[in-house]
Amino acid sequence: DEEFDELCFEFGLELDEITSEKDIISKEKGQEKAKGASDVILYKIDVPANRYDLLCLEGLVRGLQVFKERINLPRYEKIIPAEGEGQRLIITEQTAQIRPHAVAAVLRNITFTKERYDSFIDLQEKLHQNICRKRALVAIGTHDLDTISGPFTFTAKAPSEIKFKPLNQSQEYTASQIMDLYRTDSHLRHYLHLIENKPRYPVIYDSNGVVLSMPPIINGDHTKISLNTRNVFIECTGTDITKAKIVLDVIVTMFSEYCEKPFTVEAAEVVYPNGKTHIYPELAYRTEKVKPEHINKKIGISETPSSLAKLLTRMCLKSHVIGNGNHLEVEIPPTRADIIHACDIVEDAAIAYGYNNIQMVIPKTYTIANQLPLNKLTELLRLDLAAAGFTEALTFALCSQEDVADKLGMDISATNAVRIANPKTAEFQVARTTLLPGLLKTIAANRKMPLPLKLFEISDIVVKDPNTDVGARNYRHLCAIYYSKSPGFEIIHGLLDRVMQLLEVPPNEENGYTIKASEASAFFPGRCAEVFAKGQSIGKLGVIHPDVITKFELTMPCSALEINIEPFV
Amino acid sequence: FTEMPTDNFVESSFWNFDALFQPQQHPARDQHDTFFLLDPAEAPQLPPGYTSKVKKVHSQGGYGSQGYRYEWKVEEARKNLLRTHTTSASARALFRLARQEKFTPVKYFSIDRVFRNESLDATHLAEFHQVEGVVADRGLTLGHLMGILRQFFTKLGISQLRFKPAYNPYTEPSMEVFSYHEGLKKWVEVGNSGVFRP
Repeated sequence: DEEFDELCFEFGLELDEITSEKDIISKEKGQEKAKGASDVILYKIDVPANRYDLLCLEGLVRGLQVFKERINLPRYEKIIPAEGEGQRLIITEQTAQIRPHAVAAVLRNITFTKERYDSFIDLQEKLHQNICRKRALVAIGTHDLDTISGPFTFTAKAPSEIKFKPLNQSQEYTASQIMDLYRTDSHLRHYLHLIENKPRYPVIYDSNGVVLSMPPIINGDHTKISLNTRNVFIECTGTDITKAKIVLDVIVTMFSEYCEKPFTVEAAEVVYPNGKTHIYPELAYRTEKVKPEHINKKIGISETPSSLAKLLTRMCLKSHVIGNGNHLEVEIPPTRADIIHACDIVEDAAIAYGYNNIQMVIPKTYTIANQLPLNKLTELLRLDLAAAGFTEALTFALCSQEDVADKLGMDISATNAVRIANPKTAEFQVARTTLLPGLLKTIAANRKMPLPLKLFEISDIVVKDPNTDVGARNYRHLCAIYYSKSPGFEIIHGLLDRVMQLLEVPPNEENGYTIKASEASAFFPGRCAEVFAKGQSIGKLGVIHPDVITKFELTMPCSALEINIEPFV
Repeated sequence: FTEMPTDNFVESSFWNFDALFQPQQHPARDQHDTFFLLDPAEAPQLPPGYTSKVKKVHSQGGYGSQGYRYEWKVEEARKNLLRTHTTSASARALFRLARQEKFTPVKYFSIDRVFRNESLDATHLAEFHQVEGVVADRGLTLGHLMGILRQFFTKLGISQLRFKPAYNPYTEPSMEVFSYHEGLKKWVEVGNSGVFRP
């Protein structure tokens, strides 16, 4: 097990869990239900999101075996059948509105066993979830070719005109009935919305009118694949042609292993509405030229060109040295759709070399370090506020709408708050425009602590601002509250004076700070003041209004100060 | 290391995803993982010249890359969100660096809040902090990256390190950094890193 774990780690996979079917059922349903389940060890392996070729056992094993140099990477060939003998998929113009692209291929004389069959279905599901974006971009359909006869037509028809027996059902349904039938199906109901409200649904027929499938929902029962199936017709339909091609390439390269002539795929012809034809699968082999010294430099190693070529070949990128040794020709197989730049090749070389074999060095870059002035000021103030006897709090930047508006006696539109479109809970509806609710909630959660409770926070608030490039900006606020049997206005005022003293702002109107009496809904009338400095209003202080105190589930008087410290940077 | 400005929780999809080569159909841009904004919903301004370059690289390729080959939509890039990683601030910092008249090597860092649309549990919060570091210079290698990471973690008291190949849309090669946790008696992931794609 450790050996396999090491291998996965080196290759770039994560061995998540070693378990068995029995363990899984035990954990989910209890040991009773697990009796009789298989004891065979299962490995749960995490595959990086961009490696579609490792999503099935066949691909994973192949990749690891080439990595360990046990086998050579197979060469995938496409066989173009003689004129008139190949399968054809004709796309009609009606699909343009809903699912314009389609590709197809045939796996000839394939032999399925139970494991291979399960793996085949499993790979389709994984691809659907991953690159196909839950069937929205591409949907895969696989059919027993011997039950149907081409040429096949991919078109789109009104729901009432489509009628067939869906997979594993016992009777025929119209398309609209199928929608209703699967509305409660835990698996398929998530895909219904992709075509539900459109005037026409996509559908694929054979030359006798037998329905192969209604992508992306379900295949027909007529063409379902069994363990006895010998010839498979694969079609991928979708809205993104690049991804459809990749998906088709992955499926055929993975499972052509089991064809009579291993690693061969029979091509099919796709006819477009404008008459143009295209042969699929593309199975394109691309070559890139890279300089060995470039690879060495980027990683920080010094390997000879021929050993680099060997390393890359281990990663399924067959390479050899060309010219007089200063170039490598790298062949990128159709299974590696993730290689899109020379840097991807560099990464693979590094993986084959072994990340942990690379020597670690410190860059010789000399730079002069700086702290951001705003953060430096914040850190200094934090220390001094703590020295003044206040305790620092760190609260959430997101809160509910009531927290910044209703509970403070204001209307939400007056707050200029940034609102979230898709909060998971009501606690994350808006970004805070004031630090006050956070501190009040913190006190409410700590009522059992001895009085007085003196908290502060120096952190960002968010407001809308049409002058920024995104439409909102942060302001660094300082907020302090005093909660005790008496409101302590003088203590909060004293704190403001202390902060201004630290900031070297004198207490006069012309070039310093002043406070003037004012009104605010969150504060007690007659006990509220606005703070002015540097020619602008920078915040407020005062005794908190009893309504506000009650709304935050508190019972004692409280006074607070909140100012914007950015003008003092 | 010089501190980068990160005082914008609200970010456009452009800086958070597109400029970092994360494709527009990527699952992380889903409703499930990102907080999208109702108000302001769209970023009024995107850097014009840079935006068309990003569009080209996604849809056709460029700078030696094949690209993703899909239709890149500017409306998608305009969508505002609460940033999911401080790498968006790094992207902005590198953009500013690129516009300097003369290139100077830099080392940047930031420690600030990020937001992910997750349900809260023992190991997940919707808001948390990230530490981010960027080094830009000529002739940097993967070995240099590993060297810096080792020094950084050693200063935090974590010295048993292993590096594992990983995948990020914006870095290639990428590495996850693992450290051996004595208490749990297993290797746990302590960081993620990579060399930015050309």
